[in-house]
Amino acid sequence: MKENEKPMVFRGKYFLLLVLAAYMALFFFSSPTLLDALQKSGAILLKVLPIFAVVIIFTALLNYALQPKQIVQHLGEKSGAKGWLLALLAGVISHGPMYAWYPMITDLRSQGLRDGLIVVFFYARAIKLPLLPLMLDYFGAPFTLVLSVYILIGALLQGLIFEQLKQKRGASPVTSLLK
Amino acid sequence: MNSHQQKKSSLRQALKKSFLAFWAMTPLLVGVIGLVGLFQVLVTADMLKTLFRGNVIADTLLATLAGAAASGNPVISYLFGGELLGQGISLNAVIAFILSWVTLSFVHLPAEAEVLGFSFTLYRNILAFAFTLIIALLTSFTLQVLG
Repeated sequence: MKENEKPMVFRGKYFLLLVLAAYMALFFFSSPTLLDALQKSGAILLKVLPIFAVVIIFTALLNYALQPKQIVQHLGEKSGAKGWLLALLAGVISHGPMYAWYPMITDLRSQGLRDGLIVVFFYARAIKLPLLPLMLDYFGAPFTLVLSVYILIGALLQGLIFEQLKQKRGASPVTSLLK
Repeated sequence: MNSHQQKKSSLRQALKKSFLAFWAMTPLLVGVIGLVGLFQVLVTADMLKTLFRGNVIADTLLATLAGAAASGNPVISYLFGGELLGQGISLNAVIAFILSWVTLSFVHLPAEAEVLGFSFTLYRNILAFAFTLIIALLTSFTLQVLG
């Protein structure tokens, strides 16, 4: 290992142990439910594997194409309107479950991605481009349009409020405990 | 080494770095998937339907919590939302349910806190919860005004 290379630390080991414990408990109380849960989890895993592959490639391409200082420039504290718009766009076009994006977000965050943009990204994901036809069919065009506009505005406001809260956090003794 | 070889090598390094970062999160991701599978079996659609009582405010709050407790493909939330609407549940509640399904998740909370920190997770989820209620009310109101 190179001197400046950090050793790999697995995240969520205890969390995984807790989930395994829940499955073990289910084994003793209701094995048909356990089998159902295992089948569902297996199906989810198969479904998200291609998304994981996309996320790995996308993260690598971002790291390859952008130097850390460029990431800070586009998505950092002084990214301005461009940063907010990029976060909104990324949220809308991102696919798959929220947790699939954790590795990429963690990586970008370590390189200077501002937290407000993560908040925007997570909420803008409520707009699902591939599902818009279904929403239009089920709820109609006015509903889809109005809801989508409010989601975008709401996502931006949350990001802005989050940044304000983050700035003020040091002032409050209660919230400073949460750091 | 020429510039083409350098580029190829740095792309390979970026891919390796990205894969290792992902690999480090495998226990967390497997845990989340296991928990989602468990919730999909234990929290059924019929169970969620029994929560609604016809009170607009209470139903909207309950729908937000139910959407956060449920998990699965967002398509299900649309189908389920349409079904609830057909059963006379308020539009506020249906919107809150659809939104919280995607933006809030009790199942993801431990993983989100592990990856992004407790403070970040707390603030983000409180904001998302509040905005889900606000957007549900505003959308419903706007649609009424538009006729």
